[in-house]
Amino acid sequence: MASEPLLRVEDLRLHYRSGNGVVRALDGVSFDIRRNEALVVLGESGCGKSTLAKALMRLLPRNVQHFSGNLLVDGVETMGFSEERFRREVRWVRISMVMQAAMNALNPVIRVGEQVAEPLRVHRGWSARQARERTAEVFGLVGISADFLQRYPFELSGGMRQRAVLAMALVTEPDLVIMDEPTSALDVLTQASIMNALKRIKQELGTSFILITHDISTSSEIAERVALMYAGQLVEFADAKDFFGEPAHPYSKLLMASVPRLHQEETPVHIPGQPPNLLDPPEGCRFAERCPSRFDRCDRDPETFRIGNRRTVRCWLHAAGSRV
Amino acid sequence: MTDRDGAIAAPARGFLRDLRRLSVFTVKRLAALFLTVLVGVYLTILIANMGGQVDELRMVQIQSTVAEQVRADPAFFDLSAQERNELIQRQVQLEVDRLRLDQPFIVRSVDYLQQAIRLDLGRSEHMHSDRGAREVYWIIVERLPATLLLFGTANLLVFFASVFIALGLSRRYGSALDRSVIALAPSSAAPGWFYGIFLILLFAFVIPILPAGGMVDVPPPEGTLAYAASLLRHMLLPVTAMFISTIFISIYSWRTFFLIHSSEDYVEMARAKGLPSGLIERRYVLRPTLSPIITSFALMLIGLWSGAIILEQVFNWPGLGTLLFQAIGHRDTPVIIGTVVIFAYLLAVTVFLLDILYALLDPRVRVGTG
Repeated sequence: MASEPLLRVEDLRLHYRSGNGVVRALDGVSFDIRRNEALVVLGESGCGKSTLAKALMRLLPRNVQHFSGNLLVDGVETMGFSEERFRREVRWVRISMVMQAAMNALNPVIRVGEQVAEPLRVHRGWSARQARERTAEVFGLVGISADFLQRYPFELSGGMRQRAVLAMALVTEPDLVIMDEPTSALDVLTQASIMNALKRIKQELGTSFILITHDISTSSEIAERVALMYAGQLVEFADAKDFFGEPAHPYSKLLMASVPRLHQEETPVHIPGQPPNLLDPPEGCRFAERCPSRFDRCDRDPETFRIGNRRTVRCWLHAAGSRV
Repeated sequence: MTDRDGAIAAPARGFLRDLRRLSVFTVKRLAALFLTVLVGVYLTILIANMGGQVDELRMVQIQSTVAEQVRADPAFFDLSAQERNELIQRQVQLEVDRLRLDQPFIVRSVDYLQQAIRLDLGRSEHMHSDRGAREVYWIIVERLPATLLLFGTANLLVFFASVFIALGLSRRYGSALDRSVIALAPSSAAPGWFYGIFLILLFAFVIPILPAGGMVDVPPPEGTLAYAASLLRHMLLPVTAMFISTIFISIYSWRTFFLIHSSEDYVEMARAKGLPSGLIERRYVLRPTLSPIITSFALMLIGLWSGAIILEQVFNWPGLGTLLFQAIGHRDTPVIIGTVVIFAYLLAVTVFLLDILYALLDPRVRVGTG
């Protein structure tokens, strides 16, 4: 079982109906994550990152039209699980998440400690006292005083709430925590201290993290693997040092060049154009319109090619690599 | 159970702080509400007396009544015209003194206000209760049970049915059931009495199985059980009429309400946490929205007191709506004012209780007011 990744996602598709037609928010996303690994999912706004986070937890929108693919947890296919089984066996037991709007992720009329302890009471049937003691421990781990257990969410600052939500995600010691933009609403100092807490937790608990963000600089601190999304598809998936050192997909290259750096004269590059409309994505490569290296083959949808052992790229430029 | 544990463990200092803020808040609210009642009742006094113009009508009325009495009384037949006129003048003066009509209206209006606020509703001018009492209090109290029974039954049914059906529909958003209930919402465009007329036609005349109107059979059946059965038969049609006319729009609005509140981030978080759906509905949808739900419930309860004029007429129901209608028709000022005073007090008491309830239900109100 050692070779089996903690989570394997194969050809995940999620389409939903909107007033104007079917939005293809996820269109064939595949990746995997191992134990105690930090995967960063990058991408522009609207490329399907948050949809991916929710799809992994099977939190589908009400107007879902199509949901398919494989979701293997420790080699066990969970797509066939009933709603009830998925709730009991996967949610918060194997995978937990910190949602994008963590500020509003706490019920305003229930004490913070109780909300954080709730998964223990529900999934493990612990007594209130037991759950409270464990919650106090986890509060210490994420850097909040146990005094805050008795507070209501509105009595906490933004950073404190974010930490409380993080504590909630960790309280049942899941194998994987998905974090959707966990720090983008916070000031830089709070961001840094939360990223440090994450690193420490990863070391102490051996938890895997999927960090979904558009903030390349902050995420590079913790990333071991990077997946880059564009228009509902994964365009590059690689080790962090390879991705940041030598991006392979034209979009990855432009994205890296657009990050402003200290002590550097060049102005950051701006990528002309906009991501395609997911209501009616273009045939062929979805990035072709904005791509400087575009050529004839880009009219056809690119396949995903493997470069070396640990990198895949969805681009015809890399057709020399083996197909996936 | 966890709710209790958490509450007990709260630090005592926080509790005292809450209590002090709560009492300051309470006193302020009571003062504000009392002022509201005062203004509301005074405005009603001014309007019901048409700013004092009703006094002139009263004067004319008193003069003609007294003159009529004196002329009709055989004891005064042998008085001369002069003496008789003096007698009439004296009698009129007595009545004017009794009603203090010689004082300016504005002075009396303040006295009226005082009496009304003390719930001293006085005597009616023309109307009387079925037992013959002239006290406004008895006139109103006699009609009250009929109104409360009919409208209470209908509104409670509609309220609870719509909240629970709506909660279920919000879970099945977009289903065939959901869409058909939404399609039926425009049925509430017609008022209850409109459906009432059709129901009466259908079930009292075409298929005569239910009474067309009234509250009990005439004569009222002996024995509690028989009386209740008769009452129930008479209530069936008006309650059904009100139910039909409000249920769908009520479901519609509650469903929208629950849909909005079940897409809150913390509800999605609760789903992600793998909580069972019953728990999510109780703790994450109903609990945070309890304040608006209770508000709506309380306002519905107050609404019961005013009855409904046309529906009561259609079903010949002896309720408060009919009473107020008749009182306005007869310009029976004390009855109008009495009805409004009771209504104003009820509204104020309900709003006050709601304020306290909000503070108990929502920690943000409790702490935020200080």
